[in-house]
This record gives sequence, C-alpha cells and structure tokens, in this order.
Amino acid sequence: MSEVHDQKNALEVRGLTRAFGVRKALDGVDLDLSERAFLSVFGPNGAGKTTLIKVLTTLLNPTNGTAQVLGMDVVSDAVELRTHIGLISHNPLLYPDLTAEENLLFFADMYGVEQPEARVAELLEAVELDHRKLDLTRTFSRGMLQRLSIARALLHRPEVLFLDEPYSGLDPHAMDILDGLIAQIRGNHTFVMISHDLDKGLELCSHALILAKGRVVMFERREDIDDAAFRQTYRSTVGMGVS
Amino acid sequence: MKSLTTKAMIALVLGGVLTLGAFLGAFLWAGVPDFGFVRTAEQVDSVRYRGPFEQTIDEARYLGNYVGYRVEVVGDGGQTFRGELTSADEDSLTLETDSGAVTIVAPALESATVFGSEYGRPDWGQKIFYFHVPVAEISFIVFAFAAFYAVRFLMTRNREYDTKQRVSMEVTLVFVGLTMATGILWTKAAWGVWWDWEPRLTTYFILTLLVVAYFVLRNSVEDEERRAVYGAVFSILAFIDVPISFFITRLIPSNHPVIERGGLEGPMLISFIVAQIGMIALGYAIYQLRMGEVQLRDRIEQAKTLLER
Amino acid sequence: MAGLSGRQLRAMLRKDIVMELRTKEMIMSMGLYALLTMVVYFVALSQAGSSFDPRDIAAGLLWLAFIFTSMLGLNRSLVHEKDQGCLEALLLSPVDRPVIFFAKAGGNLIFLLAVELLTLPVFGFLFLQGEQMDASSLALLPLILLAGSVGISGVGTLLATMSVNTSGKDFVLAMLFIPLMYPLLLGAVIATGGAIVGGAEGVGVFWTGMGWVVGYDVIMLLASYGLYEFIVGA
Repeated sequence: MSEVHDQKNALEVRGLTRAFGVRKALDGVDLDLSERAFLSVFGPNGAGKTTLIKVLTTLLNPTNGTAQVLGMDVVSDAVELRTHIGLISHNPLLYPDLTAEENLLFFADMYGVEQPEARVAELLEAVELDHRKLDLTRTFSRGMLQRLSIARALLHRPEVLFLDEPYSGLDPHAMDILDGLIAQIRGNHTFVMISHDLDKGLELCSHALILAKGRVVMFERREDIDDAAFRQTYRSTVGMGVS
Repeated sequence: MKSLTTKAMIALVLGGVLTLGAFLGAFLWAGVPDFGFVRTAEQVDSVRYRGPFEQTIDEARYLGNYVGYRVEVVGDGGQTFRGELTSADEDSLTLETDSGAVTIVAPALESATVFGSEYGRPDWGQKIFYFHVPVAEISFIVFAFAAFYAVRFLMTRNREYDTKQRVSMEVTLVFVGLTMATGILWTKAAWGVWWDWEPRLTTYFILTLLVVAYFVLRNSVEDEERRAVYGAVFSILAFIDVPISFFITRLIPSNHPVIERGGLEGPMLISFIVAQIGMIALGYAIYQLRMGEVQLRDRIEQAKTLLER
Repeated sequence: MAGLSGRQLRAMLRKDIVMELRTKEMIMSMGLYALLTMVVYFVALSQAGSSFDPRDIAAGLLWLAFIFTSMLGLNRSLVHEKDQGCLEALLLSPVDRPVIFFAKAGGNLIFLLAVELLTLPVFGFLFLQGEQMDASSLALLPLILLAGSVGISGVGTLLATMSVNTSGKDFVLAMLFIPLMYPLLLGAVIATGGAIVGGAEGVGVFWTGMGWVVGYDVIMLLASYGLYEFIVGA
C-alpha cells in the first residue's frame, strides 16, 4: 500500500481555471505535490486561495482544466475522494447544540465510519477532550472548538488534510496545542494550508505557494526558498489587490 | 455587436409599424361587438341603431314588456287589430287603434306581433383586446424562454445563458406589467371595478409576484454565480408553478372572457394577428436592445479586468 | 451506497430532533407564534359580530397560521446549518445531495406537523366551540394536514436553503414562498373547508381539494428534489 502511495502525487493540478464570465477566481493554476508534503498557500484576499481549496475538496467544479487529489479526479471521483480528505477551517463546522461526542458521532455516521463509538472515544482522548465530551460545544472555548474540529476532520482517517487559516482567532496556548496535534499526524498525512501568517506558514511547510489574482506567482520547495526574497514577493502581491 | 443592434432596430421599426397598424385597424376597420341590445335608445347613454325588429308572441302576459310599442294582434276568431299597446297582463291586453281602444282577454289571443327598433350597446372597451391579449401571450412566451435558458445555464454553467435568462426575465417583467395595466383598465370598463379576485386575475397576479420575487432574490444575493444559480432554479420552479396556479382556479367559475374558436372574423381577426406579430417583434426588439446594453457593459468590465492585470 | 445513505439520513434526522428536543427553539417559537396569530384573528373578527358562520372561514384562518409559522421554522432550520458552516461540512462528507434534501425536509415536516397538532385543538377551542360538526368528515382532516405540510416543507426547504444565503432572509423567503405556495394553499383551504362543513357535499369538496394538493406535492417535490443539488452546492 505505502509503496504505491509513494509513487503517486497527492495533488496534480493542470491548467485549473475557475471563472464566471470575465471574473476569474483561478486562472490556469498548475501544481504538483507529493504525498506527505505540507503545502502552505499564501496570497492577498481575493487571490483565489479559498476557491482553490473548494475545488480541491470537491465543493466547486472547475470551469477549465483538471485537478486530481490522490489520483482521483475532483469531478468524476468526487464522492470517493471525499472519504479521503478532511477540512479544518477557521469555522469549527460543529453544531453548537450538540455535545462534543454527539457531534463526532454524527459526522462518523455521515462518513460511514465503522465502530463509531470506539473511534470517537479514541479521538476525544487524542485531542484531550474526553473529560468534556458530554458538554454542549456551545460552551467550548475557541481553542477547544478547534481541537474538536480537528478530531472531526480526522474521523474517517483522511490522507489529505486541508487547513483554511486554522490559527485565526486562537490564543497562544491553543496555538501550541494545535501545533502539537499537527506535529503528531504530520508524518502520515498530506497538508494543504491557507495562511495569512507568513512566519507560521513558512515554519510548517515543505512547499510554499503564492497566489495572486488566481495565478501562481511562486511555487517552490521550502529548502529552495530564500526567506527575504520570498517575503518581498509576498508583499508585492498584497499590493495587487483584489482581482 | 453591430449586427445585434441592427437586428434590434429592424425588429423595433417592424414592431412599431405593425402595432400602429393594428391600432388603426382595431379602431377604424374592425367591427365593434355589442354587449347586447336594447329596444329603446333612451335606456343607455351610448347606443347605435341596429335596425328594425319584429317579434311574435302568443301569450298576453309576455307582452307586458312591450307597452308603448306598435303591435298587430290576431284574435282567435281571425280578426286583426293594429295599434299601440297600452297595457298587458296575464288576464287581458289593451291597445289603442285608429278607431279607439280595444281590449282582448288573454284566452282570446291567437298571436301578437311587436314592431320596434333595436339598438346595440357598442363595447368600446373590447378594443383593448387587440393589445391586452398579444401582450399577455408574449409575457408567457418570454417566460418560457427564460425557463429554457435557466435549464441551459444549470447544465452548462455558462454565464452567457445566465445573461440571456436574466434579460428574458426583464422582458417578461415589462410585458407582465403591460398586461396588468391593460387588464385593469379593461376590468374597470367592462365590470365597473378596478380589481376583482377572479381566478384569471388572481393567477396572473401570482405570476406577477413570482416575476417580482425573482428580481428580489437576485438582488439579495451577493456572489455572482450563486445569484445566477438561484435565479435559474427559481425561474424554473415558478415556470412549473404557473400552469398549476392557472388550472387550480378551475375549481372556481371565471368571468374572464375567452375567445371561442371561429369567434373572430375578417377585419377583427386580421387586426388581431397583426397586433400579435407586431408585439412579438417589439418583444424581440426590447430583448435585443437590452442584451446589447448588457453585453456592452460586460465588455467594459472585461476591459477593466484586463487593464488591471 | 444505499446502506450508507440510509445511515446518513437517519443521522441527520436524529441530529435535528436531538437539537430541537434540547433547545425546543423551533416548537416554542412556532407554537407561540401560532398562538399570537389567534389573538390577531380575534381582533380582526371582533367587529364582525355573529354575522358569519365561523365554519366557513376556519379553514382559511388555520392555513394562514400554518403558512406563517412554517416560514419561521424553515428559516431557523437552515440558519442552524449555516451558523458555523455545518452545511459545508455536510457537503464535504460523501453524502448524496438529495439525502440532505430529504433529511432537512423530513425534519421540517415533523416540526410543522407537531405545531399543527398543537394549534388545531387551540383553534377549535377558541373559534369553533358549539358549532355543528360532522365527526366522520373531520376524521379526514389529518390527510390534508399531512399532504399540505409535505408540500410546505419540501418546497420550503429548497427555498429556505436559498434565502438563508441572502441579505434579508425572512423577507426573501416570504416573497418566494407565498406566491409559489398559492396553488397548494388554495387546495388545502378548499379541502379543509370541506372537511369542517361536512356532509356528502363537503366530503366531495374535500377530495377535490385533496387531489389538487397531492398533484401539487408530486410535481413540485420532484422539481425541488431535482433542483436541490444546484442550490446546495452553489
């Protein structure tokens, strides 16, 4: 299994365009990312970062071009692909009027997870929330919500994790916990993370991508990046505004 | 771009000429139907002479309506009297002949023939028919186009179809408004009220609300593509709902007139058809002109986007 | 996939019911709203004296209450999904889009029926006391309540999924919902009126109205089911 995995790309994006009329959210994006890589996506607001993630997570269909995640096409293999990917957003994506456990059990049902109780218990322990599992998530702090949200994203053992500004709104303590959790699962997952925080993004990533106006401005491996030049490029795109 | 405007202008001129022609035809050439007729001109304000009438009646009590008319009465013995009817009821009738009053008891009446003039009540309000009906028809046709483009849009996600769909709905709104306006005028003229919760009016009012709702929906959605999808889905739903609305009111009897097969002839039919063709041309012209404007806007938008890069 | 779809449908229904039993938000707000409508009805009819037969207007008043309370519930039910981006999480899971439609419409149907069952006796107590009623035709009432509510929650779920993404949610929903519901509402009022008045003629009227409502349900639900995927993914 793992040998086959090593051969294929986690992401394979060719000429990806997402447009409505003349407005192009994505304009001919090409990307290749190997498995177990950590890609940080940077760019100003409106650069197409969120659209890129939405296309890769099958929530939006491309207008032109193709995108494959783990060798599965985001359009034709969408249903199958969804069982292999997870999303951690700055939004917790949890029901505030359900308890932590109920939330996870609900999503376990949605993903058809086998032996849901055991899996949920295991994850609640991993994110250190088993003592609060009977409390409504309405009562949770931002950090606790984010931890539970990670547990939700990992329920069905996805191979690729998409992170949409997971650090926004977290206090330093919660950030540390999130760092710890990511470090724990980093070895056997592929990550795609949108970030506004240049330091954090660069610290974690193995590959970095700068998008502006739906186009790839820069896509390099971490070791090839000269930090100062990278920051300069990033800053120049921020001035480019919204396309 | 250029050909589009040319087509629109040709359609506009053609539509204008035909509609004007139909207008003249309707008022100067086509006949004016009557609501019904009256026997004495004094009964209503505007009447026109339709010619003499004579009617034969064989029972005295039915003659009560014709007091004051000239009659020829035949008795059961074959005798004949001519004169002006002065009274009639179920027992007897009296008439004033040249040689004095004659009274005949009811059983002795063989037959009586009434002579008089007949007056028509011209239905000038009917003239709106030449505009109201074509306009209403166009509103349905354009709505059907909008629904068709909505389906095409959902299938292809091509923004061009969204534009066509939106412009079709705009044209629908124009014609729906015209239909409502002409309809309300006619209702006042024919029924004496501005509005009546009558099935046809009610369902058309619902259609109007659906078209308005479409624009309310579009205007309250921020994202351009989402707006397009919502608009398309709602116009399809509305298009399915409209016939249901029209048919469900069959549960309630309607006062709204319908054209009977073969009910229109000669000048009336020709004026009506000319009005229909003219109205189609006008609808097409409005659609193309609006389309041209929208496309021009899009090109400006496109140019702006290109300049920004 | 059929087994998984069933599990997903059950999970979503259970989730809505558990949340509702916990907060009682929808039942409370819809029920109280229905009660308030009764007060408004009393005020509206206060000057009419006894010059009308309450049985003739009861059907209209009832469905008026149902249609307005249902809009309240529909809005809430979709706001729940939208609040923390949960709808996005649902779309990310391997669920067929129609399953989401059936689950949300099913949940809305259950809550609407619950509110109707609470409202009906209150309405009868307040407005129809001492009126001549035909028990055998009244027994038909649940049928039209069910048929009408199925249409309301089905089409309403689709419309609420749209309106929840608009500025001015409540107004947009009302603007889309009421004209689109006109045929169902008319059929339901006709049928309910027939059941309340009773007698052989009333029962005949009931089945005519019932036929229209069922026809509307079939056509509009098929359309909503077919179109939901576009809406929820947009």
